[in-house]
This record gives sequence, C-alpha cells and structure tokens, in this order.
Amino acid sequence: MNVIAARLPAPDSGGSFSAAFSWAFARDMRLAIRHPGETMLVVAFFVLVASLFPLGVGAEPQLLQRIGPGVIWVCALLSAFLSLPAMFASDYADGSLEQMSLSPQPMPGWVAGKIAAHWSASGLPLTLLSPLLGLQYDLAGDTLLALAAALALGTPVLSLLGAACTALTLGARGGGMLLALLALPLFIPVLVFGAGAAEAQASGLSAAPHLSILGAGLIVAAMALPPAVCAAVRIALD
Amino acid sequence: MKIPWFYFASPSTFYRLAGWMAPWFFVLAALFGAAGLYVGLVLAPTDAQQGEVYRIIFIHVPASWMSMFIYFVMACYGGVSLTFNTRLAAMMARALAPTGAMFTFVALWTGSFWGRPTWGTYWVWDARITSELVLLFLYFGFIALANAFEDPRRGDRAAALLALIGLVNLPIIYFSVVWWNTLHQGASVKLTGSTMQIQMLWGMLLMALSFWMYSIGASLTRVRAVILDRERRTHWVRALAT
Amino acid sequence: MRPHEFYIWMSYGMTALALAVEIVALRLRRARSLRRVEEERDLEAQD
Repeated sequence: MNVIAARLPAPDSGGSFSAAFSWAFARDMRLAIRHPGETMLVVAFFVLVASLFPLGVGAEPQLLQRIGPGVIWVCALLSAFLSLPAMFASDYADGSLEQMSLSPQPMPGWVAGKIAAHWSASGLPLTLLSPLLGLQYDLAGDTLLALAAALALGTPVLSLLGAACTALTLGARGGGMLLALLALPLFIPVLVFGAGAAEAQASGLSAAPHLSILGAGLIVAAMALPPAVCAAVRIALD
Repeated sequence: MKIPWFYFASPSTFYRLAGWMAPWFFVLAALFGAAGLYVGLVLAPTDAQQGEVYRIIFIHVPASWMSMFIYFVMACYGGVSLTFNTRLAAMMARALAPTGAMFTFVALWTGSFWGRPTWGTYWVWDARITSELVLLFLYFGFIALANAFEDPRRGDRAAALLALIGLVNLPIIYFSVVWWNTLHQGASVKLTGSTMQIQMLWGMLLMALSFWMYSIGASLTRVRAVILDRERRTHWVRALAT
Repeated sequence: MRPHEFYIWMSYGMTALALAVEIVALRLRRARSLRRVEEERDLEAQD
C-alpha cells in the first residue's frame, strides 16, 4: 500500500510548497479512501460515545440541551485524538517517512499535506456529522450551525496540534498515554472556545467572538505548526 | 583578551561551578524567605475585607510567578539546546522542570484554599486557573517525554520542542485576566507602581525573591545529579565517586 | 479569624511539605546517581 511512495515527484522538479502539499494530500487521501476503516472507526467512536451521555445522565431534554455542545465537542476531540497515531505510524514503520524527508520537496509542504489529509479523513466527517448528533441532544438550529462552524474551525487546529504531538512521540515508550498527556492539554483552549461558541449561540448571545478566535487560532496554527511538526519528525528520524 | 565564553558549557566545569553556587542560593532563599514571612505575617496589617486569610497571597502569587518564569527559562534552555545542539542546556531544562511543576502545584493548591473562604469555592474554571492547570500538564508532559526514549539526547530534543510549543500558554495565563472578566482581578502589580498596601507588596516581592533563589539552588543541585547520570562513563565522573 | 486558620495552615503547610519533599528527593537522587556511577565503575573494573 505504501508503494505509492514510489511515485514521488521527480527529484529535479525543484519543489514548491504547493507541489509537495498536493502530492502528500493526494497520497494520504488515496490511502484513506482505500482503507476506510480508520475513518469509519473515528465516526463510529464519535457516535457511540455521544450516545453514552444521554444514557448515563438521563434523557431529560433540558439537561441534554444544556450539556449538548460541550459533550459533542468532547466526543469530537476524543475521536480526533484517537485517530492521531495513524498519521505517521505506518509511514514511520516502513521507512516512507524517512524517504519523504530526504526528498527535495520542502518538508513543511508535504507535512501540511499529510495533516490536511488526516483532517479530511477525521475532523471533516466529525464536523459534517455533528448536526445529526446535535439533533439527538435536541439543540436548536442556530446552535447546530454554530457548533458545526466551531468544529469546522477547531478540528483542523486539533489535527495540527495533534500532528506535532504525534511526531514528538514517534517511537517513544508509553504510547497512547504519553500522547494523551501531551495533546489533551494543548487541545483545551480549542475546546473552551469551540464549545463556548455553540453555548453562546444557545443562550442567545452571538457566537461570532468565539468563532473569530477559533479562526485566528487556525491561521496561527496553520502557519506556525507545520515547521514545528517538521522539526519533530527530523528529531524522530535522527 | 580572548574571553572563554563557553568555558562553563562543558558538563565537567559546570558541575563544579554549580556545586559551589547552589548552597549560596539556598542561603539567600532562606534569608529572603525569613524576611518575606516576617513582613507578610507580622508587619502586614489585617485586610479589611478578607481578614487574615488573605495572607495566603504571600505564597500563592510568588509561586504562580515562579511557575510561569521557570517554564519560560526552561523553554529558553530548550531553544538553546536545539539551536546549538548542546547537552548542558538540555540538562538544565530537565533540571528545571520538576521545580516548576512543584510551584505550579503549590500555586493551584494555595489558590484553591484561598478561594474557598474568600469566594466560596475550592475551584472554578476561570481562564487563569484553567491555563495554570494546563501549565501543570505541560510540565508533566515535558518530564514524561524527556524520559520516554532509550536515547536521552532524543528525549532532550523532543522535550525541548514541546517546551517551545507550549510557550503559547504563558501569554494566555498572563493576559487571561485582561481578556476575560472572571474570578481573578486585574494586575495589581505593574512595573510602574502598585495599588496594594506597601507591606503586602513587599511581603510578596520578598517571598518571590526567596522562591527564585530556591529555584536556582534546586535546579543547580538537580542538574548535578543529571550530569552524573549522563556522564557516568567519563573519567572525571568515575574519579568523583570514590 | 479563627475559622480561617485551617485554610492558612493548609496552604503554608502544603508549601513547606512540597519544599521539604523536593529537597529530600534531591538528596536521594544525588545519592542514587553516585551509587550508579560506583556500580558501573566497579562492574567495568571486573572486566
């Protein structure tokens, strides 16, 4: 399956960010589509855990409306977290990661492409599915919209932060627990603003401030994190 | 004259330097601590609204300051170790982390016990407390990541990068009281002056100095142990343990 | 105020405890490092 790596762009093509990005994005998307198990697991986990809460706290509509945005956000966050190891694991294991880092393509380019593909296979499905889960929690239409918008802006940030943490822990002892210790604290601001957006909308205030901060965070993360992920991958490959 | 800037960048020379410096920092810490406690517990008057319980401020605020400052210094050492590929800077970063985590815990704990009688609750999820908790997790993550690899140098580099990524949390903690209107009040201590009573201010500053001197002493002591572990196969370390 | 003594004691006490624990831990760590250096040196001397 990683024979796709054999079709790296020609070495003398110099290499631009967008060429590297589109190559890595296309490759990882192709892999994700051919092996949809990972995406299905993310989605299934999301739906499953979001269904546990009403069963646990009781199905009183007012309570569910109150906790809905936060619960759905936490479930999305945990689902995104669980999909993180897959971003680099198989490439690291079979040496493709090392091959890619040796190519003349700018590293932030293909790293960003991988992260974008990872988000398309995990965060994006979660965002698209969130209104359905929101209906299970009896959330109003504008709240659902705010929730989906917040997830649309927040889950890419989770993928970016998660990529940095995953790259840092490649080959480390302690596995998933270590990744949780690193990634979940960094996820907290995204959760606060993301859930806050939907909750603000639900209580009649505007979600715009929260969404603006999420958007700003996304821009900063998209600029600053790919080089950090590159540094982490280089550390892992030494 | 050629100044030997990097003379102490070697673990062997720094080991000796840290060895004679550390006790002095502990002495300073004790002196400043005694002075701070005297000013804070004896000289400073009873607060009009909070009574005696406000005196927790003499621990809580200095500990919070140290928790953030130590993280910043740790991240700087991490940056230096990545930029110059040095071992000692990374060892200093490792040495600072446990002390930083301790002060973060103390800040959260004392804040909690100040909060209960004063504002009615042991915990509230306001921006500053939450980001201070995140800081505690960042310290734990740093320590865990640094020790998660067979090769300690790999651990050094990974943890240094993590420390740099987590730096973004410090402005959040610091500015959270400006950005959000929650339990923590705005800044009462600025470089231009302060709105507090003079004895309260001096008590806080003296305790902050005490914690700072203590942190330096503790990290210098700890880095000596780290150096011993890392360099245990060298001649000079072998010669030490006789 | 009498009832607030508990909170003051808990705060100052925990701080003192944390500092004491750290200092003790530092001493133990140094002893462990020195012991480890000796053991390895003795092991290699046997070769």
